[in-house]
Amino acid sequence: MAMKQGDAFEAKALSEEDKASLPDVYVDDLLMTLKYFIDEENAHLWIKEHEVCDRCEHKPCLTFCPVGVYTEGSDGKIQVAYQSCVECGSCRVGCPYLNIGWELPRGGFGVAYKFG
Amino acid sequence: MTNERIEFDAVVVGAGLAGSAAAMVMAREGLNVALVERGQKPGGKNYFGGAIYTHAIEEVLPDYMDRRPPFERPVTEAGFWFLSEDGLTRMTVQGGELKKMDPADAYITLRANFDLWWAEQAQEAGAFLIPKTTVVDLIRDEDGQVVGVQTDRPQGDIYAPVVVICEGVNNLLTQKLGLIDHDLEPAHIALAFKKVISLDKEAINARFGLRDDDQGLAVSVLGDVSLGLPGMGFVYTNEDSVSIGLGMMLNTVAEYGLRPYDVLERYLQHPAIAPLTKGGQLLEYGAHLIPEGGYREMPKLYTGGAMVAGDAASMVNALHWEGTNMAIMAGKHAAETALEAHSRGDFSERVMSRYKDRLDEGFILKDLRQYRRFAQFLETHESFMEVYPNFVNDALGQFFSAYGKPKKQLFKGMVGALTDRRSLLKAAGDIVSMARAVMGW
Repeated sequence: MAMKQGDAFEAKALSEEDKASLPDVYVDDLLMTLKYFIDEENAHLWIKEHEVCDRCEHKPCLTFCPVGVYTEGSDGKIQVAYQSCVECGSCRVGCPYLNIGWELPRGGFGVAYKFG
Repeated sequence: MTNERIEFDAVVVGAGLAGSAAAMVMAREGLNVALVERGQKPGGKNYFGGAIYTHAIEEVLPDYMDRRPPFERPVTEAGFWFLSEDGLTRMTVQGGELKKMDPADAYITLRANFDLWWAEQAQEAGAFLIPKTTVVDLIRDEDGQVVGVQTDRPQGDIYAPVVVICEGVNNLLTQKLGLIDHDLEPAHIALAFKKVISLDKEAINARFGLRDDDQGLAVSVLGDVSLGLPGMGFVYTNEDSVSIGLGMMLNTVAEYGLRPYDVLERYLQHPAIAPLTKGGQLLEYGAHLIPEGGYREMPKLYTGGAMVAGDAASMVNALHWEGTNMAIMAGKHAAETALEAHSRGDFSERVMSRYKDRLDEGFILKDLRQYRRFAQFLETHESFMEVYPNFVNDALGQFFSAYGKPKKQLFKGMVGALTDRRSLLKAAGDIVSMARAVMGW
């Protein structure tokens, strides 16, 4: 079944046992292994409207992004560390409100896998 | 400033498996081909399990073995591992069919190396590689016919009567062309993430039961790897590293609030998995989407002046982990169609449709059509990955335990290992729908 979008997004819960079995990984340790050519002038990811995020109860972008691009600032606003992005595309279609602007980085910029 | 248009006989968007195959075939036949790649170099944006199939490489480059392809190891052992919470049942095959071919049917590779080599073959055939260049849109004439691409370089429009779009899973150009009317659907794409972990060759050979460096293991891992949720893990032995990771449907990851790196670490810490990579150094972590919607999520594959190949066209057989071979074959068929169009001097939609005919004649569309229900199967059988891998581990564990009880109780216990989780009727139903999904009934 298609993922329900907008206010209809349904969060599901793991069993307590499964939840407890998940380690707490510090994602920056993983990012250390990645090579990037960072475009300091252009952010290729952005939040379209911050008011929409205020309405989003579960904010799955904070968890599903495989490199932790999205974090919540002390002001409650979603912050976008586009510099860590591996350009997978999950956020563009996984945001329940389709509220994330997504473009390919300019040519030559972004992640550069050494192994792949 | 000159206003001269940059013109080629063909433009290929993306120097991945499909793109470089298409460029190679067209350039070899004398076309002037621009191969546009957004990465610093080909392969830099690609991340996969994985293995590459030689039948497809050979179709495009018959003497590939003489050109020193950067293969890690041949796949000499393949199969499934079923993980329960603390157990592992292995079902793999070695020798036999896998040993019949030389070169092997499939080789484990790393994409940064392989794609670079693959693009070099296209360049040697005469294709002109334009790296560090992102295609942002297609150029169309007043009739809607595609006549080139717009890149992010100043004065970067490139004109050609035929464009082969091999842009990868995030098929934004394909969407802009109207060949599909929606973006990727989270329930039909897997978010895959993996680590490449260095290990010395001797350790790999000893831990994975390989005779020497010319043997390699490729396995799919089911069950606890994805917390029993829809998903699949994998292990591939490289020459002196191991690729280990998993893919889960994006909607599952989002709905359960999972952090992919936590799930991956949980898998790596599993008591049966941890010893395999113990002492290894993390070389790289990464993630990529896999289009698993199959036939039903395929865009229209062509329009006037353009064709779509590879992940952009959803050419993936999720169950068999095939996709690299389809990409290469589709690139070849697109190239053949472009050559036909050039010889006829006709780049209309009617001639481009010959691309689909060529795909229909081969295995790609046949397979994808046969497996069209498989994408929906796991969606509608959410508990599948929880029930059966656990059952296999429990049942086999009981079979090989002495207990000191009459064997009649043993078989009762083994059946119970299933029926505690799923009624026999439902299990029978699962088998029928699984068979339907695979056989295409």
